[in-house]
Amino acid sequence: MRAMRDYIKSLFLLELMKGFGVTGRYLFKKKFTVQYPEEKAPVSPRFRGLHAQRRYPNGEERCIACKLCEAVCPALAITIEAEPREDGSRRTTRYDIDLFKCIYCGYCQESCPVDAIVETRVYEYHFENREDSIMTKDNLLAIGDKYEAQIAADIAAQAKYR
Amino acid sequence: MSEEQTVTIEVDGRELKAQAGAMLIDVTDAAGINIPRFCYHKKLSVAANCRMCLVEVAKVPKPLPACATPVADGMKVYTRSPLALAAQKGTMEFLLINHPLDCPICDQGGECELQDVALGYGSDVSRYVEGKRVVKDKDIGPLVATDLTRCIHCTRCVRFGAEIAGVRELGATGRGEHMTIGTYIEKSVDSELSGNIIDVCPVGSLTSKPFRFQARAWELTQFDGIAPHDSVGSNIHLHVRRNEVMRVHPKENEAVNECWISDRDRFSYVGLQSDERLTAPMIKRKGGWTEVDWPEALDETARVLKQLHGDQVGALASPASTLEELHLLQALMAGLGSNHVETRLRQNDFRGKAPSFPWLGRPIAELETVDAALLIGSNVRKEQPLLGHRLRKAALEGAQISYINPFEIDLNYAADQMVDTPFGMLADVAGVAKALGATGGLIDSAKVDETHQAVADQLKQATKASILLGNIAAAHPDYAILCGLAEKIAQASGATLGFLPQAANSVGAQLLTGKGNNAAEMLANPCKSYVLVGLEPAYDFWNPAQASAALKAADSVIALTSFRSPSLEQTATVMLPMAAFTETSGTFVNAEGIWQSFSGIVRPAGEARPGWKILRVLGNLLDLPGFEQESSEEVLAEIRENLADKKPDNSLGDELPAQQLSQTSGLQRIGDVPIYAVDPLVRRSMPLQQTHDAIAAAVYINANEAGKAGLSEGDRVSVKQDGHQATLGIIIDSNIPDGAVRIPAGVAGSETLAGQFGQVTLEKA
Amino acid sequence: MGFKNQPMTNVKPVDDRESLFSPEIRAEIDKWVAKYPGEWTQSAVMAALRLVQDDNGGYLTQELMDKVAAYLNMPPIAVYEVASFYSMYELKPVGKHKVCVCTNVSCMINGSDRIVEHMEKRLGIKLGETTGDGKYSLKEVECLGACGGAPMFQIGTKYYENLTPELVDSILDGLE
Repeated sequence: MRAMRDYIKSLFLLELMKGFGVTGRYLFKKKFTVQYPEEKAPVSPRFRGLHAQRRYPNGEERCIACKLCEAVCPALAITIEAEPREDGSRRTTRYDIDLFKCIYCGYCQESCPVDAIVETRVYEYHFENREDSIMTKDNLLAIGDKYEAQIAADIAAQAKYR
Repeated sequence: MSEEQTVTIEVDGRELKAQAGAMLIDVTDAAGINIPRFCYHKKLSVAANCRMCLVEVAKVPKPLPACATPVADGMKVYTRSPLALAAQKGTMEFLLINHPLDCPICDQGGECELQDVALGYGSDVSRYVEGKRVVKDKDIGPLVATDLTRCIHCTRCVRFGAEIAGVRELGATGRGEHMTIGTYIEKSVDSELSGNIIDVCPVGSLTSKPFRFQARAWELTQFDGIAPHDSVGSNIHLHVRRNEVMRVHPKENEAVNECWISDRDRFSYVGLQSDERLTAPMIKRKGGWTEVDWPEALDETARVLKQLHGDQVGALASPASTLEELHLLQALMAGLGSNHVETRLRQNDFRGKAPSFPWLGRPIAELETVDAALLIGSNVRKEQPLLGHRLRKAALEGAQISYINPFEIDLNYAADQMVDTPFGMLADVAGVAKALGATGGLIDSAKVDETHQAVADQLKQATKASILLGNIAAAHPDYAILCGLAEKIAQASGATLGFLPQAANSVGAQLLTGKGNNAAEMLANPCKSYVLVGLEPAYDFWNPAQASAALKAADSVIALTSFRSPSLEQTATVMLPMAAFTETSGTFVNAEGIWQSFSGIVRPAGEARPGWKILRVLGNLLDLPGFEQESSEEVLAEIRENLADKKPDNSLGDELPAQQLSQTSGLQRIGDVPIYAVDPLVRRSMPLQQTHDAIAAAVYINANEAGKAGLSEGDRVSVKQDGHQATLGIIIDSNIPDGAVRIPAGVAGSETLAGQFGQVTLEKA
Repeated sequence: MGFKNQPMTNVKPVDDRESLFSPEIRAEIDKWVAKYPGEWTQSAVMAALRLVQDDNGGYLTQELMDKVAAYLNMPPIAVYEVASFYSMYELKPVGKHKVCVCTNVSCMINGSDRIVEHMEKRLGIKLGETTGDGKYSLKEVECLGACGGAPMFQIGTKYYENLTPELVDSILDGLE
């Protein structure tokens, strides 16, 4: 009996027709597809993308080399070296994030007492050489300068949930 | 209440036995019950001003500070009762009113007593909205950084200065909220133990300046080590990050260094990163230095050594070399047919029989219980700072400490100082011996004055007394006579004769070396070839001018060294990079005769290799027997086997050398080695070199002698000694006796002169 | 054992103690030194500082404090501690008349704020300052033990109690 039913199903290509049916239905439905890169999907203010280092409005870098991000990083992606700057303040001489190691967990941003290291909404970046994956302090500050307006807005928007 | 009486108390329901009169916090600490505290420190007097250790005691209406409450029989103590906790929380809240929230930039963050206790007793949010107190930081020298805003006024540093360092440099000025710790006037803290205030400070108010902002506590891995700069052999913790020693802390060992270390042991690590580290083997070719690889360097060295036989080669090693290095060096020399291995480089008088196992004469810890001590030719406070500290403790307990020195030394306790020229020192020592009834040679002709008699009486009456010979004595031209006289004094007074060995392994070196020609002979009759281990010819010899000349005249000089230095580059023909003390395993025998082994904790700089490995491979290349060791432990086992029956022994030969070599005429040089000039590593530690104690080469002379020569402070003079010359500045110093000038050795500027002692002439340049 | 139950002395006492102060002052200080056990010469530091301060026109300099330290054979920092702790010692020059106003509880309740305000207005200076002509200094001090007559102030060695702005005026006028 069961063999009979299967034989008829395959003879009239019923399952194929069902499939075509689905295809046909979606052919006329409203499209989800975003035409990346011309179009972009919306990004949450909590999105954890490329890292950046911020500055205070007066241009002073925020990072004070407390090394909490280095300590909290589960992937050991951050390397910091520090020494007293000429004016006696505590600053980093080296702040490297290895983006190949980074798992974008956001703990560094979470642990930072001065909101210096942040993860921006930027997710479009690539490297042409292996060593480019290491973001140096200068790179990070440059990214921070570029996206400061949005970073500040995102942090302000999220402040009440923290 | 007698001291031995024991009482029974109850703490948190646990019954504890304690000595009557002991402080509660000592008893709970011994029982492992934790009471938070800031101002209490077991080595310092009780101040009871932080109020953090408040505990509840039954039948007492108010909580009591555990650090200042003596235990009494039947006392019932509650350390975690609601009353105690409320008191501790209250104290914590008060302490945090003014403490800044700058833990992220504070070097103490992560190892801070306040941070730890705040986690347990503090609350999340402060109830205070008023501004916090801000205190201006003070510059108290190149070693300790201050952040006085963080100070919680525990006064541990003030008490440390007064009670341990013996110099009251820090104080608490002002009142109430305006109280600050500082020196009040612009002044640096200059004690040789000042680094310990970094450790006693419970917060980040006093931190290490060379370490400032370099690393966090959680990044560091702690290893044990032995300090290599003096014969105390302080136990240290080395804190390492990414194959670099970041700082040094004391490791507690009551028998050796208690819980302190000297600044020299604490900050010398900075020199490890010096630009002058030798990182690859180098060979001098056609007058220039070329870097080569190890096989080439070793082959070349072996080729040179193979051509030599017997007496043509001599080995001179730093007394801070490890036992393993010296054993293999000795074996290498023996294999070549020479027994000339010497480490007593700062000694010139080798007459008489040297003691077979010279040591302190008593355990280090026992030094603080002596009733009297006579130190001959020793600036113990700067030479072995922690032995100086033990003697100071003895002095505060009423011991009579006397010194016989060629210049008056700066002391932190009251002591008799007999100051005379190098020649006059002998008369003083002989005078004391005569006052004790000793006879023979110099003693019979000596004059006894009141001071001699007083010192003699003190030594005789004391139940425990020590006669100690220091580094200045060891460099004295009549060291053998001084030793002989000291032994006579010891015998006549019943005191113990002891030596204050110069370097980390001076005692160990004496066990292994010194069987052939001594250092003076080796340099006076130059060998064809020399092997140098851990030395800088310009700074590490009694007579640097003679040493440089002898080394220059040699056909080949093989130098195992951690550092390049101009004087080595001029004299050596091969430089083999040797690992520094943190990079090699080894063993030091300290002044007390304790064998302390340590292991290498970081990779050697560049191509450097541990000294014992270099020597072992050289032995293999020369096809010598006895070089099959796989590890330094095997070398050590061999040494232990050879020296199994060696017991500490200070006995000297009976005969006093008759002839006095120290001169009476003209100006006599006193060439002591300043505290921060003792070895190549210390000389390269910049923070130490910036301190007040880092004395530069100069002519220290008293006003009387300067007047006679028509000199005044700041004049430049040409100093002539034995045909050698140097141009130095004049410093008027009332501590120098008539007939003598102090020209420190081991520092840049005096390396062109001859011996540490001897006649000099001054001429205005 | 600690520096609190054992005097902390200088290892090298100065040789010429006589040259430090005038014979009169030395005699006065020695009178105070004699009141304490032999080794505790440093106990006389407060009296010595007071004498030296009076002799120097009402204030101490670092040099004077060093001299006191040398005379009493104690570390200089210990003298600085005492001098900076007590409000009776002045570390900067003060005016001819030093007005020490009590602002502690009893005086405050009885209106010391008003007195302070009045004097500040009259003299044109704030607490802790000296008038330009060097005549008056105004100083806030802790309780002087005259709570029964609050509010009060002290000028020189004299107490003035139950002050009112009018009384203050008349007192100050009397000083001119």
